[in-house]
Amino acid sequence: MVLVADDNEVAQRLCRRVLEKAGYSVLIASDGLQAVDLALAQNPNVILMDVAMPGMDGLEAMRRIKAERPEMRIVIASAHSMASDRERFLAAGADDVLSKPFRLGDLIDVVQKLTAKPSA
Amino acid sequence: MLPGRGPSGVVMFRRPGLVRRATPYAAIAAVLAIALATGASSLVVFPLFAIVVLSVALFDDRPQLFAVGAASALAILVISVAQLGPTSNLATAVFEVTVLGVVGASVQEVVRHAREAEGSAEKKVGELESIDHRLRLTLEAATIGLGVAMADGRWVEVNQRLAAMLGRSREDVMQAGLLDVMADTDRGIVGDALGKLARREIVRWESEVEQSARDGRRIPVALALAAISDSGSSEPLILVQEADISARKRLDAMRDTVVAVRQVIVTANSWDQAAPALLASLCTHLDWDAAQYWTVEGDRHALKLRSSWHTEASNVDGLDDPARNLSIEAGGGLVGRVWQSGVAAAMDDLAANDFEQASAERRAGLRAAVAFPVVSAGATIGLVELLARGVKHTENDLLSMLSTTGVEIGQFIQRAETEQALRRSEADHRAIYEHSPIGIARVTSEGELLEGNRALLHMLEHDLDAMRSQAWPDLLRAYDQAAGRARLAPLLAGITDQRSVQVRAATGGGRWLWLQLTATSIPDATGRPEHVLVMVEDVTTVRETQDRLAEALDSQRSANATLEKLDRTKTEFLSIVSHEFRTALTGIQGFSELIRDGGLEADEVRAYGGYIFNDADRVNRLIGDMLDLDRMESGRMSIRVTDVDINEVMSDVMTRAGSSSAVVVEFKADLDPRLPIVAGDRDRLVQVLSNLVNNAVKYSPDGGTVTLSTRAEGAFALMSVTDTGLGIPPDEIGHVFERFRRVRSGAAQSIPGTGLGLTIVKQIVEMHGGKIWVESAVGHGSAFHFTIPLAKEHATPLQRRHA
Repeated sequence: MVLVADDNEVAQRLCRRVLEKAGYSVLIASDGLQAVDLALAQNPNVILMDVAMPGMDGLEAMRRIKAERPEMRIVIASAHSMASDRERFLAAGADDVLSKPFRLGDLIDVVQKLTAKPSA
Repeated sequence: MLPGRGPSGVVMFRRPGLVRRATPYAAIAAVLAIALATGASSLVVFPLFAIVVLSVALFDDRPQLFAVGAASALAILVISVAQLGPTSNLATAVFEVTVLGVVGASVQEVVRHAREAEGSAEKKVGELESIDHRLRLTLEAATIGLGVAMADGRWVEVNQRLAAMLGRSREDVMQAGLLDVMADTDRGIVGDALGKLARREIVRWESEVEQSARDGRRIPVALALAAISDSGSSEPLILVQEADISARKRLDAMRDTVVAVRQVIVTANSWDQAAPALLASLCTHLDWDAAQYWTVEGDRHALKLRSSWHTEASNVDGLDDPARNLSIEAGGGLVGRVWQSGVAAAMDDLAANDFEQASAERRAGLRAAVAFPVVSAGATIGLVELLARGVKHTENDLLSMLSTTGVEIGQFIQRAETEQALRRSEADHRAIYEHSPIGIARVTSEGELLEGNRALLHMLEHDLDAMRSQAWPDLLRAYDQAAGRARLAPLLAGITDQRSVQVRAATGGGRWLWLQLTATSIPDATGRPEHVLVMVEDVTTVRETQDRLAEALDSQRSANATLEKLDRTKTEFLSIVSHEFRTALTGIQGFSELIRDGGLEADEVRAYGGYIFNDADRVNRLIGDMLDLDRMESGRMSIRVTDVDINEVMSDVMTRAGSSSAVVVEFKADLDPRLPIVAGDRDRLVQVLSNLVNNAVKYSPDGGTVTLSTRAEGAFALMSVTDTGLGIPPDEIGHVFERFRRVRSGAAQSIPGTGLGLTIVKQIVEMHGGKIWVESAVGHGSAFHFTIPLAKEHATPLQRRHA
């Protein structure tokens, strides 16, 4: 199960379409707070987390989730893709970083990689 | 044999008297016996008796005479009686006795008188002899030279003292005569004096003269000549008294020297000026013929001749020979030795010494020398050498006097040098003061202006009087005020240490200057401020430049801050813009990839195409807005101001917004029909209103009313777009006009937008010279108001559009 946390509807639809097609069940959260609630309630295998979201941003949400469930895999998928951003996100605890816009294959790869390990 | 040796001595003394006494009686007895034996008449033996009596009478011993006479008379009578002669014989005998008695008495009387006369004469001679003796003793014992001379000067008598004074034996003096022992220079006047005494024109003559001793030295004496009155002789004897006054003379000379040296020193300004006079003084008063001054050269390895003097009479040219300007090594010659030892020394006779250095002096005919060091601060800085043609015995007291003089000269040189340095320094300071480009004021400790230099008066365009009475007190007050502001002490409070303050002051010509005042107090000997020096600098140019610089610096700083902020904003902006673009591109890229890969249903393709279109459109708008904003902010966009009927623009925008089928809001217009024409760019104003109306619609997702209103507000038209939508949270309302600051909380989060619209709106309004602001309450909606200036020629509300 993959939780997609993004305030952008287009992004939500794209991720849902791609991941469901790849065989994952997809949960959608539109802001950080929602993401934290859903993550703790549903225990998704991987969370695809946007950063710039209204209210609680993605990094804060990730911090809270990791505090509760350190083993939960979180991929930061952000349009903040300056050179320094990737390091910033990894340092904040992300398991992987996906820059927007992304190739659909990359999305599936990163999710597969993260779901394969713990379940295997 | 000495008397009183014993009893036998007494007997021996008496024996002659006894013999003398007994002898006449024995003679009488003998004559008597003879007469009796021979029977000679008394007349025959009478002469014998007479001889005895006369002999006794000659001895002037009256009792003896009487006794002898009586004995003789008795003997005559015995003879007369014994011969039993006639009575005439007795009478003869009586006659004889009488004659004997008379003769004896007479002779005795004569003898007595003779004896008495002889005794008194002897006594007289004795008295005379003792007087003469006493006189001689007195003469010899006298502490002065005494003598008796004839009127022509030949000595009758001189005492030992006088001879000793002249360094001669008495016999020498006696042979020489008074005039011969006089010095050449004084012989004339003494001769004159003797002449006058001889002619009895005067009875006494006194003077201080010089005599020459055997060795040629000149001896000053106090000479007194007195005529001894002798009525019997035609020419009087002269009593000569001489006192050796050389000691006094020397003391006098030394005292005079000291006085003269001081006088020279006191009146001279520098040693170079004083040296010749001083050397001359020493020579004149101490009776030397030449003098030289040597200085110790700076490197202290040699002496150099700096000054010399000699009497006019002295032929000492050799001393002035330039060749002598050679330096003297320490220890060389008298001068060198004195330099080395630092102690005054003399050489009574150069000829008797074998110093190489003496050769020049010897050539110059100089025989005696004395040298003393000139001492300053314990160090020998120079030497004075005195030279004389004759042999001169230099006493120790002269040496010590010269040593003292050397110290005095040293002190003088030091003082003169100090004074000269002071004078030079004073002159320097005076020159600095006079010619300084900085104004300098000398102020009493009470603040009164003592003097001000040219620069000060010129700077403040005052003369000294005006300066003193008016400008200076003003300046002082200004100083104290400025000092007070700077938390400094007032100018006259105690010792100041070069504090500076800047004050504003008016010149006599009415110009205003910035003056920098720097006060320095000059302490007196006790350390209290005696007066204050105030430096006055015209810092107007500096100050103004400074002010301008500070201004420029300020603006530079703020420009820098703006630039920094701009730079930050730019980075931030870039980050935001790229984020916006990538977000939009995420959909575009992702869905186009899906479509490209195929295998989609037709309605899926259509839907994805729609997403792609929307995001592409959004990107396009974003680019458009950004370019607009950039042009506006960089000033490259200008507005073309024309007369605009804002009510008409409002209606137009409202109509277009309402035409959209998606719109669920209700539009209301509240336009002031009397609103005058405004001055604006119609296209831009349409852009502003469209933006505001679109926002109002967007943020009213649940429908509601959007009201557009206009009215005149002074010289402006006030336009409002009011909705009944979501409203803006209070923490965001202050940022709505900033770039990319979109309200995205709650229900607003999914409302699309570039985040640049309101920023552009604000720019456009401000370019028109208007203002924009917003009122809002969450859940109740927002009201955006903006003003645009009215067109000037239409600025009266009565003028109608289309009129």
